[in-house]
Amino acid sequence: MRRINHRLRQWTARVLELPQDVVFDLPRLTMIGDRQLYIENHRGVLHFSPDMLRLALPNGKLEVSGKDLVIRGIWTEEVFVEGIITQVSING
Amino acid sequence: MERVKVTWFHAVRGCVTVRIAGSGTERLLSDAAGDGIELLALRRTSPGEIECIVTVGDFFRLRQHLRRTGCRLRIVGKRGLPFQLARIGRRKFFAAGLVLFFIGLYLLSSLIWRIEIEGNERLTDEQILAAARAEGLHVFQWSFRLPGAEELSRRLNTALPGTAWVGVEKRGTLVTIRIVETTEPEPRTLLSPRHLIAKEDAVVTRITATRGRPVVKKNQRVKKGDVLISGILGGDGLHVNVPAEGTVRGLVWHEYEITSPLVRKAKTYTGERRTVWHAVLGDRSLKVSGFGEPPFAKYESVLRQENAAWRGIVLPIGRIRETQLEVTFVERRLTEEEAAAEGLLQARADILRKAGADAVIRAEKILHRKTENGKVYMKVLFEVEQSITDEMPLVQPQGE
Repeated sequence: MRRINHRLRQWTARVLELPQDVVFDLPRLTMIGDRQLYIENHRGVLHFSPDMLRLALPNGKLEVSGKDLVIRGIWTEEVFVEGIITQVSING
Repeated sequence: MERVKVTWFHAVRGCVTVRIAGSGTERLLSDAAGDGIELLALRRTSPGEIECIVTVGDFFRLRQHLRRTGCRLRIVGKRGLPFQLARIGRRKFFAAGLVLFFIGLYLLSSLIWRIEIEGNERLTDEQILAAARAEGLHVFQWSFRLPGAEELSRRLNTALPGTAWVGVEKRGTLVTIRIVETTEPEPRTLLSPRHLIAKEDAVVTRITATRGRPVVKKNQRVKKGDVLISGILGGDGLHVNVPAEGTVRGLVWHEYEITSPLVRKAKTYTGERRTVWHAVLGDRSLKVSGFGEPPFAKYESVLRQENAAWRGIVLPIGRIRETQLEVTFVERRLTEEEAAAEGLLQARADILRKAGADAVIRAEKILHRKTENGKVYMKVLFEVEQSITDEMPLVQPQGE
């Protein structure tokens, strides 16, 4: 049943050309150079230090490393990170 | 502490900068974010402590999560409108001064500071201001104690004599009173008691007295200086002197000597012309074109100066246009009859000019005519009907 549901969603997304993050509950990352990172659809903070920010995702983890990281704002679904970002890895 | 910018929206609601210490800070962040609490400018100050900004409303909700995650919270700074209001609340006199300032501003701006008066010619400003003061309109009056502008205009119009219209306009602290005065007829000129007497020897053709007593009748012969309309009314010790007024017309005879030459000289333009240009600098001019002797035997020059001007300022640079017009003198020979007719024409115009605009020539008679030395000599008698009145003041006999 779950499989059919999944395939139906995939087909709908393909036919209607919907963005994948809307259909599959995936995170959307917007990055401006190495200074700002905007993450939508996160599931909480796992670790936060000036060098490293680790976020929980609906299925997986997101690691942001850099220097002088600051969270400009954190809301239920979104996180806005500022600082010098050197690396972003997902589900690593 | 680095001052993090917050939006005005957050500033109005009030923000608190807090430091949260403990082992489970990450869990706290996740819980808080999941609960819909907005955390701003989040940074880690030391391994076991983070600093962030929360709004006042979210601050109290954040405290509920502290206990569960085992964190301690410390307030570092407060800012925003609620805190500033609280601070003002502590400084009573300052707050009172602030309120008093606005009250003063309002009160001063609702005073009348100046009254302007426009359009009065016969009425003085003082008269108008006095009338306005009687209606409650004066300097340092409260605006809200004044009646409406239309009501004021109406009352001032009735209070001020000789005004056709009064307009009152209030603009902030300035009141303008506009006045239109009534136009009155010119007063009659005062006349002193007088007789009307004859200016010339004449025969009266018409006499009408608007004031005074007519003494002569129509077709009566009068001599120069005779009283025509008397200014003395009544008689036998009971009389009053008035300025006599009226019109008296009569026939007057003028004898006129006319001399009219038989040869007339007239100047005429031939139509030939030449233009000469001069440049002008200051009050000096220099001929620039039209050199050489003019090709005319006799000519007249017409000068026309044009100066350069810029925005209404006449500059001392310009040019003169000189137009040379050729003239010739033509001699015209008249017959005796033509010369006589022309002489009469001139004589008639001259007589009418002397006798006044309403004079009419009733008859003319050539008494004598002779031609001598190229001229016609004539003696003509004109009979002219004209106004023959002259004034003679009545002098009051002083004492008895």
